[in-house]
Order: sequence, then structure tokens, then C-alpha cells
Amino acid sequence: MVSGYLITIFITVIIYAMLAFSLNIITGRAGQISLGHSAFFGIGAYTSALLYTKAGFSFWISLPISAVVAGIVGALLGIPCLRVRDDFLAITTMGIVFVIEAIFLYIPFFGGAMGIGGIDLPQWFGREMQKTEYLILILIVFIFLLILDRRLERSWVGLAWSSIREDEIAAHAMGVDIVRFKVLAFTLGSAIAGLAGSFYAHFLTFIMPQNFGFAQSILILCMVVFGGIGTRWGPILGAIVLGILPEISRPIMEYRTFVYGLLLLAMMRFQPEGILGSESILRKIFKQILIR
Amino acid sequence: MGRFIWKGSLLLIVGILLLGISYANAQDKIKIGFFAPITGPAAADGMSAKNAVELALKEVNEAGGVRGKKIELIIYDDRLNPQEAVAIANKLIEKDKVIGVVSGSYSGPTRVTAPIFQKAQIPMVAGYAVHPDVTWDPKERRPNDFCFRNGFLGEIEGAAAAEFAVKHLNAKRISLIFMDNDFGRAISSGFAERAEKLGATILTKQMYKFPGEKDFRPYLTRIKEGNPDLIFAAGYYNEAASIVRQAKELGIKAQILGEEGFDSPKFLEIAGPSAEGVIIATNLDRDDPRPIVQNFLANYKKMYHEDADMVGASSYDAFMILIQAIEKAGTDPKAIQKALLETKDYNGLTGKISRFVQGEVVKPVQIQIVKGGKFRRLAVVDNPEVITPPVKK
Amino acid sequence: MLIQQLANGIAIGSVYSLISLGLTMVYGILRILHISHAGIYTLGAYVGWFSFRLVGNFWLSLFIGMIGASFSGYLVERFLYTPILHMPRIAPLIVSIGLFIAMEEAFRIIAGPHTLAYNARIGIGDLSIGSFHLTETQILILIVTFIILIFLWTFLTKTRIGLAMRACAQDAEITSSFGVNVRAIIAFNFLIGSAMAGAAGVLIGVYDNQVWPTMGSIPAYKALAIVVLGGLGNIPGTVLAALIVGLAETFFIGVLAIPFPRDAVAFIAMIIVLMFKPYGLLGKA
Repeated sequence: MVSGYLITIFITVIIYAMLAFSLNIITGRAGQISLGHSAFFGIGAYTSALLYTKAGFSFWISLPISAVVAGIVGALLGIPCLRVRDDFLAITTMGIVFVIEAIFLYIPFFGGAMGIGGIDLPQWFGREMQKTEYLILILIVFIFLLILDRRLERSWVGLAWSSIREDEIAAHAMGVDIVRFKVLAFTLGSAIAGLAGSFYAHFLTFIMPQNFGFAQSILILCMVVFGGIGTRWGPILGAIVLGILPEISRPIMEYRTFVYGLLLLAMMRFQPEGILGSESILRKIFKQILIR
Repeated sequence: MGRFIWKGSLLLIVGILLLGISYANAQDKIKIGFFAPITGPAAADGMSAKNAVELALKEVNEAGGVRGKKIELIIYDDRLNPQEAVAIANKLIEKDKVIGVVSGSYSGPTRVTAPIFQKAQIPMVAGYAVHPDVTWDPKERRPNDFCFRNGFLGEIEGAAAAEFAVKHLNAKRISLIFMDNDFGRAISSGFAERAEKLGATILTKQMYKFPGEKDFRPYLTRIKEGNPDLIFAAGYYNEAASIVRQAKELGIKAQILGEEGFDSPKFLEIAGPSAEGVIIATNLDRDDPRPIVQNFLANYKKMYHEDADMVGASSYDAFMILIQAIEKAGTDPKAIQKALLETKDYNGLTGKISRFVQGEVVKPVQIQIVKGGKFRRLAVVDNPEVITPPVKK
Repeated sequence: MLIQQLANGIAIGSVYSLISLGLTMVYGILRILHISHAGIYTLGAYVGWFSFRLVGNFWLSLFIGMIGASFSGYLVERFLYTPILHMPRIAPLIVSIGLFIAMEEAFRIIAGPHTLAYNARIGIGDLSIGSFHLTETQILILIVTFIILIFLWTFLTKTRIGLAMRACAQDAEITSSFGVNVRAIIAFNFLIGSAMAGAAGVLIGVYDNQVWPTMGSIPAYKALAIVVLGGLGNIPGTVLAALIVGLAETFFIGVLAIPFPRDAVAFIAMIIVLMFKPYGLLGKA
């Protein structure tokens, strides 16, 4: 019988993995810097929370709705965003997080600073789900997403994205509809983040605006960068390592955030491809071992 | 497909390995859990709470422990993040198997974990977190009867401050300024309601962003315009110090009345001479002659080279309340809870608790004034109408 | 009251301009979003506070704070940014963010999480005309900012190095082909920009009488919004934007009394202006 504590950790890690994975679609696959990812996480969480607590919708209905809502907002915000490049994009996405967090904080409908509580685990077969079952559910959804990602990568969409990522101007010259594919990346990434948000809300049973602020965006970015932007497993590895780090680093809990900062700094300065990137130390070590 | 499996299992192994490392061993002591924002935006208060509780731990263990056994305090840092708090709560229950918990944290983490401890039937005493949902389940509409709060409910503290302001300071025109979080809103609404009931007029109500606001001059300039008798300001020590200083700079003459957030040596240090004459509602009475108070103040100073504050005192008390329940009832969490429910006339560091009402204390509110650069006793509000928490249905 | 709020707004806007200028100068020449600039601002405040404790003279501590900030800005440029300029833009941005986070934590670990009181005696005295009250620290801010801005303007328009800096901001390659030592110019740029941030840190430390590890968090984002609002790389635009934001914030709270999140004002102003002028108030393509 696996302890509840371990299950809690696993669930948290998978949700983060989903977030890192979805950010990777925007940043890694399509090459668009987004510092505002936690905003969509929040939109998904709040949508689910509100539907459940105010309108009595069951989890099974609010889950897909949250994804759709987050995706739509992502698309809407994506359109003006994508007229600008790089730096402006980074700043604008930063601005989005602040504005959305402010909305959750100041409009009483969203519960204000006190957030929304009383969100339960989903019901099925007439009873509340157990944490273990919830974990399996999330795992299944996540595996499904991974398969989807694999399909996409090999499809025309994936090719278009990598051409945009490598050289936007050239891609445009070749006839790739930049805007359409960028918006697609944004929409998909936001929708999945919204999905994660819904899972998160029902797991935590209580959400506050602070959970979805800029710091959270940075944490997700950290996971993607650490693992390797653009790789499929990199962000997941990043989510696992940085998700479990708070657990094993409790003895050195004072220095945790400092380590995160240094990690980001060092990774980008010396290993920008991430741990699983093509030039990384890990791969070099593996190659050495394999050559022998 | 093969690579998929290989990479997938590699990640799984990494994950399990990392978790395996984090597992610790159990021992035969009385285990009590504790969490506070030791790092992160509230690190100062977190450290204060931790220090105070560790002092209490030392005192208890040096006196022989409880029922012959030593206490082991299991400390976690929640970084003021509710998510971490949830993981901590689960860990305390499942892994560390504690029989009681003390919260040295703010409302966010305390409130998320309250239902978890309630469900697991492990008693928790919150030192100073103010949100009503700590002791009350809003969805089931019933009290979390395993959760207790040593500090005041925001509404109560505000009402007590208003009681004092109107009845003793004769304030008739009052301006409010408070931070925009659950505490600020609760305490200011409690204040406004009581003040208006007693016949005073609230001129302005301004809410400032928390955390982070440092420049209160725009707010204060507006307050000055209305020429109030009294300003009721809510904030933690940083904001409090800024408000008080800047008010003086701008030439505002109205009396400033604050709350427990002002109750810290840091407030005195940062506000400097402009703190003189400020009055606050709080739960720590420095002039309380009882040895428990004076000893705490002296010992804390000796051990940590700083003056103690409200956060530390409240957390110390929360720990001690739990200890006295264990002393009385043993190590069965349900028995401990029963003992807590039956607490009567408990002489705490932060005041005498007559009893708990749905987990909330019935305890007089201390009014302190800054005189000669230190907090001194000014008055006590013990009007039962004001300090008795409402019974919710 | 309106005049008082005007004074409040200009004071805070002046400090904003000091921080934002460094940011815009770095962007102008390296096209990097230098988020850790806010860390240098905080460093200036801490160094200033610390030196004030040692020497007891405010003006000296201001000077030392600026030097400390200036030097650390140079280190960041030399060892962190320049080596990775060839990488895609996301790299220096993330390095900057990582550094900023690490710096904030380093301050907390070294100096403690508590707020430190700057408590400096400045010796200018307040100014009161009727009900209008300009406090000592507000006068200080206005004077220091004014001096620095005059100095900067003179430097950029009347000296050769200044000319070289402006040229580099326009087009670094061509400028270097004229024999200008671009690397030195970049370093210089950081030195000056960081010094100003350091000054801002000390000034705020004295204005609020508080120095604390995360004091750079809000300026990090706000300065960014201000810089975009004014026009990335545009110096007069940045000063203008900073003053506008300072006044707008004060106005919203103090005069209109709208319970508005103060820090959102900068971003909202930025978004509104960008809709009509996509390169900022005074920016060019």
C-alpha cells in the first residue's frame, strides 16, 4: 500500500510535468518566449473551481471546459502577442500574468485574495475518488498527451513549428503561415495548461491567486530549461527533478530558491540545451560510455 | 517505441530513486509537527515563529518532557506556498505520524491544511493565522473541531480596537487604511462595523496592495484632506512603519491606531521616533507581570539577541497549549482534541483564554502604546460582547 | 492636496526613471532584457546601507552604493552576457532571471530576511508652504535625480564617449568599423546604467527607510513596463514614461481613489500605449 504522501508528490509532479510539457510546445517547439504560462494554468484552475462551486458542474464536465476556456484565451491573447517578436513578446507575456493575477485578486467574483475553497476530488461510481485513482487518471491523460505530441512532431504542424523556431523570416519566405501556426502553438499550450489547472484545483481543494503568479511561470520555465527546451522528455525530467527537489532538499531548505536561481543561470550560461539537449554533459558522458 | 519505453523507465527510476533518498526513520518520542514560512516573502515572521517554538521546545524538554517523554519537533518550511503546505500536511500525517501540529504560518498555508488535519483527526493549533476557514468548514457548514486558533479572529481584533477608539479615545471621525488580504479586510470590516455601531463616522476606507507597498504618501495625503481624529491602520511591521513615518513627514496629526501586525521590534526600529504615541491592539502585553511573560521576553532575547514579537509569542503559546493538552490527556490525538475543547481559564503567554468557542479563543485584547521607544500597556478590552467569537451555524 | 500629490508623484517617478534608464541603455546597446538590473538596484541599496553604518555620512554612502552597483553591473556584463551574445535571445533573458533570483536569495542569506532601516540624516530639512509639504527625502530625490540626469545628458550629447555610445546603440557593427572600441563602450554603458540603479536603490532605501532582499521584485517588472512604454532604448522616452507612471499611480490612488493595484498601472499604461504606438511613446522601429 503506497503511502498517501508519495501519491501526493506524484500527483504534484505530474501536474508540473504537464505544465512544463505545455510550455515546451510554445517555447520549445514553436520557439515563442512565454513568461506568462501560469496565467493559463490559473485560468483553467479558476474555471474548474467556479464551475464546480458556483454552478455545481461535476469535475468530468468542467475538466474539458477548463481546457477549452484556457485555450480560447490563449488564442485571443496570442493574436496580438504574435505581432511582436522576442523581447516585446517576453514582456507582454509577463504583463499578461500580472493582469490575470490582478483579476483573480481584485474581482470579488473570483474570491479575491482568499481564493476559492471547497473544491473536492471528483466523484465516480457514486463515491469520491481516491487519490491513487486520481493519480492514475492524470497519468493516463498525460500519456495520451505525450502520444499526441509525438504525432504532432512528425506531422506537418511539427515541421512548420520547427521552421518557425529556426528562422522565422525564412519560414515566412517559404510560404509558412507564421501567424496561424504560432496561434496554434499558443492555443494548444494554453489549453493543456488549463487542463493541468483543473486537475490542480480538484487536487488541492483550494486555490489562491498567488499560486498563479509570475514566480510560478518562472518555475515552469526553469523546468523546461533545465531539462532541455524543445526536447520531449527534457521538460518532464525537469518537472520531476525540480518537483521532487523540495522534498529531498528539506534539510537544506534555506537555500532552495537560491539553488533554483543558480540552476537557471548556470544552465543557460553553460548548458543552454538542457540536461537532455544534444550538447549536454549527460549525453557526452553517455557517448563516452557507449564508445568504450 | 523502444526508445519511448527506455526513456520512460529511466525517468521513472530517477523519480523513485530521488524519493527513496528522502525517506527518514521514525523514533520513539512524542512527535509534534510545525510549519512556518521560514524562507520566502514572509521569512521574517517564519523565523520568529520557529525561534519561539524552538525555545518552548527547549523549555519543555529540559523540564523533563511531557509524561516522561521528550518532544520531537518536526519543522517544515512552507515558503508561504499553500501547495507546499498540503504536501507538508500529508507528510506530517503519513510519514512523520505526528500526534499534534502547531501552525506558525499565515492564513494561506494554515487554511489549506486545516481540512486535511481535520479529516485525519490530528489536532492543530494555529498561532496567529487569521482566516475564519481555519476553524470553520465553509462547505459543510460546520466547525473544524480539530483545529484551534490562539490568535484573534480579524473581526474580533478590529471590533476591540474600535471599542477602544470610540469609547476611550473619543474618536468620532475615523479613516481606515488596510492591506488587501484576508486579514486586512477582516480586521477593517470588524472595526468599521463596531465603530459605526458606537456612533463614529468612517471617513475613508483605503486598501493598499500587499505585499510590497512602501509608498503610502498618496493614500495619506488623501486621508489628511479629510482631517480625521483617528487613523486605523492595518499592516505588517514594514507597512506599519512606513505608514507611521510618512504620516509624520506629511504633517498628519491624527492619532494612529494599529493592530497586531505592528507588534514587532522591527516596527519600532524602522519607524524610529515617529512610532512614539502609536497605539495598537494586540495579544502580547510587555508589562504583564506574570513570570510566563517576563521569562519568555528575557529568554527569547538571550537566545536570539532580538526582542520577541507577536508572531513568536503566539506560536509559543500555540505550542504550549498543545503541550498542556497532551499532558492532561496522553498521546491519543482524539483525547488531545477533547482536552483542548475542554480548556478553561488557560494562562497563556498571550493572555488568559477563558475557553474555546468553535476553536476560537475568548481572550481579552491588549491595547499597547509606544512610549519611550517601547511597547507599554495602555488598556485591556474585555467587554464580552466584543471579544466573544460568534457561534456560526 | 493636488499639489501635494503632484510632488508625491514626481518624487516616485524620478526614482523610477533612475532605475529604468539603466535598463533602457542596456537594451539599446545589447538588445537584452536585463532583469537582473533590479538585483543591482538592490545591491546598491545594501551597499549604501552597509557603508552608512560604517562611515556615518549619507552622501558618502550614496557614492559608495553607486560604485558598488556600478562594478557589479560591469561583472554581469563581462562574465554573463557578453559570452552568450551569439545565442538566441531567450538565453541571456533566462540567465538574467536566474541571476536575479539568485541575487535576491543571496541578499536574504547574507543580510537576513528582515528589513533594515536606513535611518540616514540628510541635513536638508523639509519645505513647507502653507499646506503643501515637501519632505526632506523628496527634496533629496529631486535634487539627486536632476543632477544625474543633467550629467547624463551632457555626457551623451557633449562628450566623445557619449557620442560613441549613441552610435553603438544605433548600429554596433558600423560603429566598430569606425575604430570605436565597442567592447569598452558596452562596459561603460553598464557602468553608468548600474550606477544609476544603485543611486535609485539608496534613494528608495532612504525614502522608505527600508532595505530588504526582495525590494527589487516589483521594480524588475515595473521598470520593464516603463522602458517599453517610453520606447525601448530611448532615453528621453524612458524618463517621460517613468514620470507618467509615477504620477498615474499617485493620481489613481490619491485623487481618484480607485482601489486599483498600483503596480498594474505601469503595465496597463504600457498595453494602452502599445496599441496606438507599437514602439512606445518616443520609440522608433
